[in-house]
Amino acid sequence: MTAPADIHALLDETVRRERGWLISSLVSRLGPANVDLAEDVAQDAIVKALATWPYKGIPDHPRAWLRRVAGNAAIDRIRRSARELGVDDDWDLATSDADIITPSLSDPELDLMVLCCDPMIAPQDQLYLALKTVCGFTAAETAKLFFLKEDALSQRLARAKRQLRTQSGEIARYPTRFALKDRLPALLKIIYLMFSWGYLPRRGDNLYRDDLCREALRLSSSLLAQTDGEAAGHHALHALLLFQMARQPARLTADGRLATLDKQDRTRWDRGMLIEALSLLEAAQASPELTRYHLEAGIASIHAKAPTWEATDWRSISRLYTLLEQYAGSISVTVSRGVSLIYAGELADAEVVLDALHTQRGVEDYPGYHLARAKLAQARGNTALSLTALRQARDCEVSDPVAAHILRETELIDVPV
Amino acid sequence: MAKFVLMLPHAPNRYSNLGEAEFMDLMTDYIGWVEEMSAKGKYASGEKLLDEGGKIVTNASGTIEVHDGPFAEVAEILGGYMVINAEDYDEAVEIARSHPHMKHNETIIIRQTDPSADD
Repeated sequence: MTAPADIHALLDETVRRERGWLISSLVSRLGPANVDLAEDVAQDAIVKALATWPYKGIPDHPRAWLRRVAGNAAIDRIRRSARELGVDDDWDLATSDADIITPSLSDPELDLMVLCCDPMIAPQDQLYLALKTVCGFTAAETAKLFFLKEDALSQRLARAKRQLRTQSGEIARYPTRFALKDRLPALLKIIYLMFSWGYLPRRGDNLYRDDLCREALRLSSSLLAQTDGEAAGHHALHALLLFQMARQPARLTADGRLATLDKQDRTRWDRGMLIEALSLLEAAQASPELTRYHLEAGIASIHAKAPTWEATDWRSISRLYTLLEQYAGSISVTVSRGVSLIYAGELADAEVVLDALHTQRGVEDYPGYHLARAKLAQARGNTALSLTALRQARDCEVSDPVAAHILRETELIDVPV
Repeated sequence: MAKFVLMLPHAPNRYSNLGEAEFMDLMTDYIGWVEEMSAKGKYASGEKLLDEGGKIVTNASGTIEVHDGPFAEVAEILGGYMVINAEDYDEAVEIARSHPHMKHNETIIIRQTDPSADD
């Protein structure tokens, strides 16, 4: 017998995956102007299909079952809608039937991802659109993941879909063939954004969102398989995702507390993922150009290879961060360079790097900046300064487990000596 | 063991404006119940009836007439039925009490099948 929580998780996972797949395959047939119709059809079909499960129990192969039932319902609905809308009836239903029941994830999903990466759509909106369509998250779920109001998200999605409608001609019909090469960097970027957000949400009660991270990893593998890794940096990006994913289980202690890298039980890192990541990093050397993903994966690999925290090669890490600043400079990269210098024992250099950030816009809202300053002050034995910086970190927006962690750090220092 | 049919009616608009999250919670309850009853050997079979469509065939006027559903004038429509195994009406009623339909809707109609028809 299955526990209710398991049934719910199974429904959730099945429905989400199949929704993405159905929408993708419908859009590839109906064109980017009909994303809304595709979403409606997929939704109706899924709800209808699900309504029958209670009577028969969960099928042995729920995804295949749902795909068959929903696929048939979708074809019906499209036949009707095509007539109502006067959509050209020239797509071949005989072959699309076969398509709709094909179990393998293939081109439709990639097509839709390519379409979502329209350069006229802001990267963040590309991400929302991909989650909503390719990955099958509902508007409510997507809004919740990014702490947006559902109305606000819907407006952004509507705008993005209007932009999609302007795509026409060869790109609209064969996005993968005609636009893939140009849009590959954007595809990698939305995968990266999706993973980053899942890895460290800025609010909420989860330290990380496993579903988002897994979805990013899945999209990346599927893209890697279909493009043979031709995008510069894709092997490196995939290695990076695997390195991070491998450490995921060790980031939480048994009682749900955040375990920072220095406190992690390294035996809980996923060996299989780490080995795969290292071999991908090898393959990444063949890339025609160096990308930020190479550098970030390089940094992650140094952590992965260190048998203990103490054995970490901080000098190499700080050198890679210096390079990364040139490729993709940001406050968080500079802060990370500062932190690596602290651990390398270069306190004076670390101070210069961190102080230089002082005037940057937004730095006050970035918790990592205050935590780095707290660490530097602590390394110098300046408890008062460290405490001030920790309190500033506490005022920033972070997820609940991170907030609890900062509070514990504060309490550790805040003991009269 | 005797067989009982549980008929599960619901208000015509019960599911039309339901959010997906709510719908998912509902399905979880129903599926969980069916799994539990199946594991106990109490669940025999069931059919979901299509919500749209439906026909009434009548010869009330002397000739056979066919009327289309839906039956807008009725307070409840039959969403589906389930067949369960029970010793008697008492046990069938006990089983119906635990049915998630009692939590999410109002009524379950129970009828025993006539066992002599099986032979």
